[in-house]
Amino acid sequence: MKEKVLTEHFGLENLYKIDVYKKQGGYQATEKALKKMKPEEILEEVKKANLRGRGGAGFPAGVKWSFVPDTDKPKYLCVNADEGEPGTFKDRYIMSHNPHMLLEGIIITSFCVGIHAAFIYIRGEYEAIALRLEQAISEAYENGFLGKNILESGFDLDIFVHRGAGAYICGEETALLESLEGKRGVPRLKPPFPASVGLWQCPTVINNVETISNISHIILNGAEWFVKQGLPKDGGTRIFGVSGMVKNPGIYELPLGTSLKDIIFKHAGGMKEGKKLKAVIPGGMSAPILTADEINIKMDFDSLVEANSMLGSAAIIVIDEKTSILDVLKVVTKFYSHESCGQCTPCRIGNSWINKIVKRIAEGKGKKEDIDSILRLASNIEGNTLCPLGDAAAMPILSITKKFRKELESHV
Amino acid sequence: MQEKANEMIKIFIDKEPVEAEQGTTVLKAAERAGIHIPHLCYHPAFPPEGSCRMCLVEIEGFPKLELACSTVVKDEMKISAKSERVVKARKAVLEFLLAEHPLDCPICDKAGDCKLQDYYDEYGLFESQFKEAKEKREKKLKIGKSLILDQERCVLCTRCVRFLKEVTTTQDLGVFHRGVHSSVNIYEGAAVENNYSGNLAEICPVGAITDEDFRFKTRSWFLKEGESICPLCSRGCNILIEYHPGFPRFEVPKRVYRIKARENPEVNDFWVCDRGRYGYSYLDEHRADKIIMNKIEGENVLTWENISEYLGEKIKRLSSAKKTSGIALILHTWLSNEELFLLHKIFKDDLKVEKIFFADLPQGEADGYLLTSETSPNRRGAQEIGFDIKPVDLDALASGTDFLLAFGPFLSGLFSPKDLKAALNTVKRKVLFSSYTHELNSLFDIVLPVALIAEKEGSLTNVEGKVQGFQPALEPPGESLPEWKVLSDLGKELGIDSKFYSELPSPEAILIEMGKKIPFFKKKND
Repeated sequence: MKEKVLTEHFGLENLYKIDVYKKQGGYQATEKALKKMKPEEILEEVKKANLRGRGGAGFPAGVKWSFVPDTDKPKYLCVNADEGEPGTFKDRYIMSHNPHMLLEGIIITSFCVGIHAAFIYIRGEYEAIALRLEQAISEAYENGFLGKNILESGFDLDIFVHRGAGAYICGEETALLESLEGKRGVPRLKPPFPASVGLWQCPTVINNVETISNISHIILNGAEWFVKQGLPKDGGTRIFGVSGMVKNPGIYELPLGTSLKDIIFKHAGGMKEGKKLKAVIPGGMSAPILTADEINIKMDFDSLVEANSMLGSAAIIVIDEKTSILDVLKVVTKFYSHESCGQCTPCRIGNSWINKIVKRIAEGKGKKEDIDSILRLASNIEGNTLCPLGDAAAMPILSITKKFRKELESHV
Repeated sequence: MQEKANEMIKIFIDKEPVEAEQGTTVLKAAERAGIHIPHLCYHPAFPPEGSCRMCLVEIEGFPKLELACSTVVKDEMKISAKSERVVKARKAVLEFLLAEHPLDCPICDKAGDCKLQDYYDEYGLFESQFKEAKEKREKKLKIGKSLILDQERCVLCTRCVRFLKEVTTTQDLGVFHRGVHSSVNIYEGAAVENNYSGNLAEICPVGAITDEDFRFKTRSWFLKEGESICPLCSRGCNILIEYHPGFPRFEVPKRVYRIKARENPEVNDFWVCDRGRYGYSYLDEHRADKIIMNKIEGENVLTWENISEYLGEKIKRLSSAKKTSGIALILHTWLSNEELFLLHKIFKDDLKVEKIFFADLPQGEADGYLLTSETSPNRRGAQEIGFDIKPVDLDALASGTDFLLAFGPFLSGLFSPKDLKAALNTVKRKVLFSSYTHELNSLFDIVLPVALIAEKEGSLTNVEGKVQGFQPALEPPGESLPEWKVLSDLGKELGIDSKFYSELPSPEAILIEMGKKIPFFKKKND
């Protein structure tokens, strides 16, 4: 039986308060994990649950945790709450509606990996949510779920909320670490990976808010149940954030593998004002665009890769026929040009160059060869940058330009 | 102690087998095999940065192009450093860099020395496709004593930022803003103020940081370079002297234009201090280039051919009258090991001269890194040779000295002209070996122009006891000759140990002889 996992109680008033949360069975998973389970058992369960990262890359969480080496150094957990991918707004719902679910995930993950300090790196604009998290954290301390000797298990944990300063790049895990360390937020060269050399050069687990929020459910209901909520290799549900020209934009928690067509036309109520669908960006702005003919597709990691796109953060941006694709391209190129950290050459100059061309086309000064220039420059960025931001920019630019070339040509 | 050599493995670069040290990077392994992989941000002094993306190569088994600067070699690794895909990526990076570059090479001081120019020449030569407006940035920011930053030329390799973070730890520069607006700058109200600032212009791969000391004075392709050792303190930093071979080309008789660091991991790594870098005027200014005869009896005209005969005759006369106590020497420690050794042998060992003084520059202040408080380059060498380094005692000098051989210009700085003149007036015959035209010269009968360290061959012993050889980087001006030459001629002329001198044609041979007599120099020589 498939059901809502993460958003089940979202409608409940004051769910963010610990008493309400506890009445819904809150913190039972923490009790179970800390009192009845060994860290190895938790790790085994999470691995079996095939919980893949919800931030965009889809890396299995359990496997990531198992990369953390056994050392005397302190280990850290960083929860990536720098939700900045355009179209993505699921984590803010989780954190504002049910912050304790996230805290439970953090406690269990930290217990499993042997972590005593966890950081929630939250985007600067989420000021109110950061406050709510702080309140939830202090409630958790008061109730003995944080601090020293949690539930008399001998396990200690502190959680800190750190607000970002407004850079998209700080959602990239190594730039997040730099920023958390108080430095300029630019990505680090990998390897070494954060699991071995992360925050302050110590082993560090970095997971997305939604990923961590699933942990308490896996512990409480078991890996087998979790897998049943999704696909065998891709356990659990997914919170799809639907935005754009649909009747009912919002978040929809659905099993992985739900068809994109159903999400748009059944769950989100179909197109706004009866307009025709033109295109869909299926996984946050970085995901290659799909045309209206390509929406008969299952929303899971592998199906989208097959369709040369990606599930990413599962943020679905719906574009109708009235929207100019040049406007879409302008928004996309402006965003990446603005958000490129500037560290590496192709991303720094390539994105700005493409944006300058697109702006010129929009001003009516485009030339025929500009379309080919956009394609050439984007493919020179793709695969050649220091961090995934280069690809994140090149993928939508290439797919939009290729799939809607005719329409773009009509502007030059 | 001998470091244990790393195990060697075999890799392939463009199908050619190449030996590589285990644990090294693709870029270093290639460099070792004589294959240059283009790079801008990588500098051997710092950990790989990976931001310029010029060094991307293809490695079998890797789907993406990988960084040569940071990828560690593995046995049997197959690398393509110039495949079509690699060259395409390289050209792409160049195209990006040049798109926002001002292309003002004709007025850029770095032209001819610029990696961006070199790589464009090698990989580019393409027409610009960039039809947009370039970003406007600061073109003439004064960021330190002698440094000018042109943000438009900057390729954001951050070598300068990392140098100030990792070498001087002063962190005077940072990257500001984001994306295409990113630029290097100083912090508000601050500047690059440390004794190593000049290195920034040197490690900048393009013309972003230029040096006011060099800026607009010549073009780098007019210059030739010679290797030498910096004599301005006792560290013995290895340097390159860049000079104009057509000197004197202009009205200003300037020969040396620039000092650069020469890599030596055991002494100065890749750096020289600002004192060493900018203090090169001693090489050209007020140089003596002729033998000066102020007071000389008879009709003698002295030339380098008869000078040793002349000096030898004076010394022999005192020696045969058992009056070598009337001989005095004033030395300094800019003299090479070989010269000091010959002086010690002739005057101390053979003639038993006791009045031997040293006139050096006063001590300065060390900077905690390379610059030492000792201001002359070979004090340690003089000690190891056996000299007791005593300061000049004018009273001792003025009592019963018949013949004085003095070296160097430093004497004048140590005493008032009046005292010095009074003391020297009591000395019957006095000869000065100096590289400079100086008031001091008028107090001596004869002044012989001599070469500086940059102009001769020899070795120096640095503060840590490291003996470093050097070859002439420049021609000595006019009639100048190196002291070792004059001293070995004099030794031969005196005829005390004639076999010894007949076998000493060069400083190299002198150093070998030294090694036989002084264990310190043998050990260092092995």
